[in-house]
Amino acid sequence: MDAIVVSHLSKRFKKSAKREYTSFKSELVRLLKGKRQKKEEGYIEALRDISFVVPKGKTVGIVGRNGSGKSTLLKLVTGIYSPSEGSITVNGRISALLDLGAGFHPDFTGRENILINGIILGMSREEVERRTPEIIEFSELGDFVDEPVRTYSSGMFMRLAFAVAVHVDPEILIIDEILAVGDEHFTRKSKAKMEEFRARGKTLLLVTHDLVTLQSWCDLAIWIDGGRVRQQGDPHHVVQAYKKAVALAETQQEAGEQSALSAPGVALPDLQGPARPSFGPQVGSGQRWGDFRAELTSVRLCNDQGTEVGTYDSEAPLVVEIGFAAKEELEDVGFLLKLRSAAGERVYETSTFTEEVAVPRPLPRSGTVRFSISRLGLVAGSYLLDVSLQARGGHEYDYHSGLYGFTVQSRIGDKGIVRPPHAWAFQPGQA
Amino acid sequence: MRNLRELYQYRLLLWSLTQRELQARYRSSVLGFLWTFLNPTLHMLVYATVFQVYLRSGVPNYAYFMFVGLLPWIWFSTSVVSGASSISDRRDLLTKVRFPAQVLPATIVTTNLVNYLLALPLMMALGGFFGVIPSWHALLFPLIAFVQLILTLSITYLLSALNVTFRDLQHIVASLMMLAFFLTPVLYPLSSIPEEFRTWVLVLNPMAALVSGYHAIFYEQQLPDLQALGIVLTLSLALLWVAATIFESRREDFAEAI
Repeated sequence: MDAIVVSHLSKRFKKSAKREYTSFKSELVRLLKGKRQKKEEGYIEALRDISFVVPKGKTVGIVGRNGSGKSTLLKLVTGIYSPSEGSITVNGRISALLDLGAGFHPDFTGRENILINGIILGMSREEVERRTPEIIEFSELGDFVDEPVRTYSSGMFMRLAFAVAVHVDPEILIIDEILAVGDEHFTRKSKAKMEEFRARGKTLLLVTHDLVTLQSWCDLAIWIDGGRVRQQGDPHHVVQAYKKAVALAETQQEAGEQSALSAPGVALPDLQGPARPSFGPQVGSGQRWGDFRAELTSVRLCNDQGTEVGTYDSEAPLVVEIGFAAKEELEDVGFLLKLRSAAGERVYETSTFTEEVAVPRPLPRSGTVRFSISRLGLVAGSYLLDVSLQARGGHEYDYHSGLYGFTVQSRIGDKGIVRPPHAWAFQPGQA
Repeated sequence: MRNLRELYQYRLLLWSLTQRELQARYRSSVLGFLWTFLNPTLHMLVYATVFQVYLRSGVPNYAYFMFVGLLPWIWFSTSVVSGASSISDRRDLLTKVRFPAQVLPATIVTTNLVNYLLALPLMMALGGFFGVIPSWHALLFPLIAFVQLILTLSITYLLSALNVTFRDLQHIVASLMMLAFFLTPVLYPLSSIPEEFRTWVLVLNPMAALVSGYHAIFYEQQLPDLQALGIVLTLSLALLWVAATIFESRREDFAEAI
């Protein structure tokens, strides 16, 4: 069953917040001018036709720039706002960490605030009382828990509030960018708590600007842009596309063009430029982009015999054969390879620029590059390869992201990512 | 009446918030909870001085008489005045967590009710001082208090919902409440209002019938005007229905408007 089903959701706000607070003076002025408006015109459409599903037990991350409607979406899912159109179905007890410390009273002690905050967050009195020792321990407040909250440092306040919030024990947890609570140590602890939630099969819906967290934690990502779902699916692809669009907007801004970045909430530019590749997958899927003045026509992974096998032994060689074609004479050009683990972590990245490899200039109209690894040296698992044809400054002619995958097998059950060449040696006697 | 059903559902939250309000009110003041008694007592002393010593009111045991009416009036006026802004002031709760909005005005009303109930022994003691021993009529107290509860709750609901978009309301209410105090027979008996105005006062000011009711059972030791109370109850129930309906229809906008 799905924990959250959002279908065709739209949310409109009345345009002028000022108009909300009717004052006698403004009312009188309007009356005298004979401009008594019957109905408020103009709405801000915060969200438009949003549809997505959060499957039970999955972690879903929402990305998007400031003002794109992420927080509004969370408030709608939580039930603080009601939708203008469309529907939201939530199955399960929901707890939202949109803001910490709702209802905290500065004159009350930490312990008293735990009780009232817990009840506000939906726990029964008994539940809160049972969990209070746990909450106090998690918050690491020690004796301060019996002091009034107004004497707390902001870090202590946040820690206490976060501790209460995560002990509500919901089936669905909604988090709005609050994992960075407190110091290094507490952040780690909070993340561990979130991990525990995941492991216990709870559903998480989170908004974050921390793209690394998003890629390593989330099963699915949703990119909200200008109030619409721009892209959803595999977190790695979504993040790539998002980063791409931000970078593009930044280049436009630097170039003095009208840019989406100059105003909040404006949708980022489309990745589909006028350029379209002649070979391989189309752009826009988040797996391929560039200006395609030069293209990667083929990428083959094979063993040293030149056969594509798909699965490679940890100790065996691997060869990457890259075919390219250039539409014009390019001087500033090189190749980049990025090896990623299945979780999206970068294992290794190199390029002809970093290694000062001479690439023929101008680039021939077509040709092949071979990248040979004499010994793979990776532990068993799945890996992805990004290949890029780009300029020294990072301008990409053709970037293929995560399009090529292979599996590594090994007779040894070692762990990690890399297996360096090694040997064990023993010597009798005292150390 | 979804509003009231949910209120019952959230009674635990309501009670916890009420407790918190009671504790918070005089937290970190030296006299602490004693202020619950000190405030009405000081009022009573001033009014008693003015009306009994200066103006020589003919009402026997005036201080007790006045105290009987003053306490429920404080319950009513404090609830309505602070209840009016109970939604608009709690932005922190309504926009950050899913929170049943109707609990907020109700919390104000119950908090002040508890304050009233706590002051009752003081009132009894004052009666004892003047030699007034409560009769069986005092048993009707829950009935009158219930009618007042319904009335106060409905007015508070209505004002709190409207105040979200029309903020002047809370100031208007505060001023009107001052005037209403003098138009309600708290400082003087209902009988001192000229006959021809009396019906009007009773009709226009439901608190007049209630305060007279308290006077009857605690001071005059006789049956209250049950007919007047019945009318106030009917009116209050109707008002509660209207208020709850308006509150309910506005509720979804609260989070966006405050």
